[in-house]
Amino acid sequence: MLKIKELHAGYGRLKILRGISLDVSQGTIVALLGGNGTGKSTLLKTISGLLPVMDGSIEFDEKDITNSKPHHIVRSGLVQVTQSKEAYPAMTVEENLMLGAFTRSDKAEIKYDLEGVYSFFPVLKDRRNMLSGTLSGGEVQMLVTGRGLMAKPKMLMLDEPSAALAPKVVLEIFANIYKISQTGVTILLVEQNVRMALLLAQYAYIIRDGHIMIEGKSEELINDPAIKEFFLGGTVTDTSKGLNA
Amino acid sequence: MDFDFNSLLAFIIFGVTIGVVYGIVALGISLIYSGLDIVHFAHGEIYMFGAFIGLFFSQVIGVPYPFAIIGAMIFAALLGMFIERVFYRRLTQAGGGYTVAGMGMIICGFGMSVALMNVAYLIWGAAAEPFPVDLGMPLQLGDISIPQSYVLTAVVSMLLMVVLNYFIRNTKLGLAVRAVAHNKDIAYLMGINVPLVISLIFGLGCALAAAAGVLIGPMQSVQVEMGYLMLMKAFAAAVVGGFGSLPGALIGGILVGIFENLGAAYISPSHKDIYAFLLLILVLIFRPSGLFGVIAKVKA
Ligand SMILES: Nc1ncnc2c1ncn2[C@@H]1O[C@H](COP(=O)(O)OP(=O)(O)OP(=O)(O)O)[C@@H](O)[C@H]1O
Ligand SMILES: [Mg+2]
Repeated sequence: MLKIKELHAGYGRLKILRGISLDVSQGTIVALLGGNGTGKSTLLKTISGLLPVMDGSIEFDEKDITNSKPHHIVRSGLVQVTQSKEAYPAMTVEENLMLGAFTRSDKAEIKYDLEGVYSFFPVLKDRRNMLSGTLSGGEVQMLVTGRGLMAKPKMLMLDEPSAALAPKVVLEIFANIYKISQTGVTILLVEQNVRMALLLAQYAYIIRDGHIMIEGKSEELINDPAIKEFFLGGTVTDTSKGLNA
Repeated sequence: MDFDFNSLLAFIIFGVTIGVVYGIVALGISLIYSGLDIVHFAHGEIYMFGAFIGLFFSQVIGVPYPFAIIGAMIFAALLGMFIERVFYRRLTQAGGGYTVAGMGMIICGFGMSVALMNVAYLIWGAAAEPFPVDLGMPLQLGDISIPQSYVLTAVVSMLLMVVLNYFIRNTKLGLAVRAVAHNKDIAYLMGINVPLVISLIFGLGCALAAAAGVLIGPMQSVQVEMGYLMLMKAFAAAVVGGFGSLPGALIGGILVGIFENLGAAYISPSHKDIYAFLLLILVLIFRPSGLFGVIAKVKA
């Protein structure tokens, strides 16, 4: 569904990604793992069209989207939920969710999907008329995820959805990602919680210094001593929660 | 001087009327600021262009006055969008986004102000043009008689505010405007055509200034230099109300209008233009973020 070939990208003249190749097939969950500052968010920003492609190509749903405008990419069904957990604090929860459906005009279906998101995240329904600036961290993560779903994506890219959340909330978030995937949405999951991500995903890529170090099936990676070594020796701070746990 | 309640009331009414005009210019400046993070220093000249275009529509082509307002608004919106697209966008994008590009943007705004003024000199010359509009007999309110142009100004300004507020709060496009104002990248990821919305915001801000120009025209006269003072008053209004706050712009405008009319009436009429800045200084001393100051993150 998503095919990236030899991608080079970065900020201005500063190159961060040096030849990334990555494939996500339809209906799967693929994990993208790596330590701080290895280029995970940069990759997602480039895929979404927020950063220019310097070299290489991106193909989504059999169409070339290299250097397409971000709003066109969203319209083609590829939606990103950013790491910064940016909801619009001065808008209500419901306004935020409706913003997610900005590209759609099928009123009845939008309403149906809104109820769908509310049943997915009941706490959002209770808070529907509150300003999203008043939500807790976990609730904001649910809100931005729900907002992503409101776009009716074919594929969802989630950037560290479990970061900075309490362990109990983390479990809930991962359960939700599984449920979303069950509805047929393809998922690219960026995570630092290596163990959980590998349990959830079918396939995983490990990125370091802007290129893919290791890739493989999750069940193979999860028992691979090299991975254990990599994350213990690497810069990942949460190894205790990761493979070691 | 004997205290005369009627004349006090009259001064207040005139103050409010002129104040709502400051308000709609300030509203445009605030809208552009909250949407694009740029303080638009050439806004006074957009106001001046609006007045001349309105004059042209009304006196040369001969369309009814209300249509002259609409015509000037459309023209100014197009002019503003052109200026933003061709000149400002290069600067605002230089930093990798539409963030404040600092000094460059400010100088560019002043430069645009001078350039527009010179274009106006070239087209219309330096003389002040009268803008006669026959709106009928003044409105009689007890002992106070209010010229129709004042009534129309108040009504049109209020209408523009209500429409703008409805647009921003209750429509899908208005939601997009608020989204772009707060965070361009996230707005992009919602599938919003951000450059288009930015043009829209700029055009709206300029249309408001043009409406103000055509409304003020019949009360004063139309001349190339008129933009400067309006810009200053509108800035005062925007700052008094709290920069970036839309309701604040209106309230700030009305306060500036009342304050300067009362000052002119009871202190000294020859220093009329000082009072706006006196109020500005007072507000900055006692409430630096303005009366409706918004936290930067929760603007618009
Ligand atoms: N706006 C920017 N301008 C310049 N360099 C940037 C910018 N954003 C990130 N970088 C740099 O790009 C590199 C990769 O950053 P990126 O955000 O992609 O890392 P990441 O893998 O997502 O890390 P994390 O797990 O901490 O989110 C880092 O060295 C970072 O300093
Ligand atoms: Mg990141």
